[in-house]
Amino acid sequence: MGDLRTSIGLFFSLMGVILLITGIIQPGARAALTQVNINLYSGASMLVFGSIMLWLSRRSS
Amino acid sequence: MNLAPVDYLILSLYFAFVLGIGWIVKRKVSTSSDFLTSGRSVPVWITSLAFIAANLGAQEVIGMCASGAKYGIMTAHFYWIGAVPAMLFVGVFMMPFYYGSRARSVPEYLKLRFDEKTRALNACTFAIMTLFSSGISMYALGLLFELVLGWSFTNSVLLSAAIVLIYTYLGGLTSAIYNEVLQFFLIVLGFAPLAIMATSKAGGWQGMSTRLPQVMTHSWKYIGDSSQNPMGVEIFGLAAGLGFVLSFGYWCTDFLVIQRAMAANSMSAARRTPLIAAFPKMIMPFVVIVPGIAALALSQSNVGYSLPLKASGGPDYDQALTTLMAQFYPSGMLGLGLTALMASFMSGMAGNVTAFNTVFTYDLYQSYIRPKAPDAHYLWVGRITTLVGVALSIGTAYLATRFNNIMDFLQLIFGFVNAPLFGTFLLGMFWKRTTGHGAFWGLLAGTTAAACTHGLTVAEGKGGWIATLHTFPSTMAQNFWIAIFAWSTCMLVTTAISLLTRPKPVSELTNLVYGYTDIPHDHMHEKVWYLKPVTLALIVIVCLIALNVIFY
Repeated sequence: MGDLRTSIGLFFSLMGVILLITGIIQPGARAALTQVNINLYSGASMLVFGSIMLWLSRRSS
Repeated sequence: MNLAPVDYLILSLYFAFVLGIGWIVKRKVSTSSDFLTSGRSVPVWITSLAFIAANLGAQEVIGMCASGAKYGIMTAHFYWIGAVPAMLFVGVFMMPFYYGSRARSVPEYLKLRFDEKTRALNACTFAIMTLFSSGISMYALGLLFELVLGWSFTNSVLLSAAIVLIYTYLGGLTSAIYNEVLQFFLIVLGFAPLAIMATSKAGGWQGMSTRLPQVMTHSWKYIGDSSQNPMGVEIFGLAAGLGFVLSFGYWCTDFLVIQRAMAANSMSAARRTPLIAAFPKMIMPFVVIVPGIAALALSQSNVGYSLPLKASGGPDYDQALTTLMAQFYPSGMLGLGLTALMASFMSGMAGNVTAFNTVFTYDLYQSYIRPKAPDAHYLWVGRITTLVGVALSIGTAYLATRFNNIMDFLQLIFGFVNAPLFGTFLLGMFWKRTTGHGAFWGLLAGTTAAACTHGLTVAEGKGGWIATLHTFPSTMAQNFWIAIFAWSTCMLVTTAISLLTRPKPVSELTNLVYGYTDIPHDHMHEKVWYLKPVTLALIVIVCLIALNVIFY
């Protein structure tokens, strides 16, 4: 985790995976005002963001 | 609001990462300058994001969402008019003096440029103010978590203070800056889905503009007359008070933000820090203000959402953000959103603590209590100051629970102290004739003028403790005009006294004043366009104008 990009990448990849799993195993979990499975979409975007950060830190080292 | 195990998992993973970053950065800290100024070694993308994250406290996030519901898109003026131009100014024009003077803090710059008493005045007021703002934001967070989650005030205050203390104690400024970058991404990724969902539920921007009064979705159209907009401000007060005096006073002189830029690894990086930060800063209104406007639109249509009411009757705008989260986020995202709130609070607090320990160690302890000690001693003092600073902030938070009026009073006094600051720096940096006596008495006169303006005018029942010469339509308008009078008085008094006192010899002004400082010329030093400060500033201006035209 020496490079900050590695820490940020790891953190958001982990968050992404947790949210994705939550979105998949509890697809019916919705807040009162929305029909969107937001855990699934946010999880996917965070995983993408985290992976880009990890890729950037690998590329520079 | 009830949390599921997955929400607690997310919150605890965040705490683990924050502490982990502090632990890793600890290895880089071996001198007092590593601890207090990051040894001027941080890459520019990191200082830029830390530059805005340090200012993005929980109060800012919750307060901006509340103002969005109360005033509409006009709130964006606090970003577009009230921050971005000042950030461009400090990057292009002022950073060469801060960074080039080799001062380690803003008060130290005042010592080099003016004299000891001006530094002492600025260092003491700044140190007290950082402690109180850190304590007040802790108080706000404790109240919020008590209200929303039913957590005890003491537990949430102590838990978050302990975590901030550990990572700033271990890694100092570098650790605070690294964590601010993580917090910045968390705030954006945690709140952006809320903004998108709430807006689309309210029918998109189009739907909100048809459903709400016109004034809520236009930032400039109703600003000509203070009676036509909910802020009660008119264009001169807004442009001169907020856009010039207050915003330049904060972004160009407040050590809390300047410290982030001064940690950059080169002069060019230090200058680009606020310029690069201006891009995300321009976009932030869509993440923090638009949800508030959407909350208002939703509460006026029959979808089952309404803004909670205060005990006194009116809508409690401060709860707009948390009630939206409860209505749109299921377990999982809810945990992430609360973690983002926690993060915004911690970044604000760590910013204050790291600025406080630098000013105390270098400007007060090393200057007046024990000069010429070995560096290891100052590193130790810096760490102890961190500990004491956090403890005093906790004390302030509890003081706020007991004496709410004292906090309002102190914030008023801080406003008086800050208002004239930009006048002093402007004259000091760009007019070589300015003297230490001029700066010192100009600052005091400016603060007095601010207090007198407050005493002579009334707005919403506030002020007028001397006499009532004028009534403002809102306290916001009153604040803007207080700032205008304070700044003008400071400029006049500083100029007059400077002309009557003996100037500093030119030989002592190198790297401190315009004309005696080697300002790096872009076209000679940097080859690529995106490394040139002036080019970056011009791009920011074009984007800024475009945004203001779109949301006219």
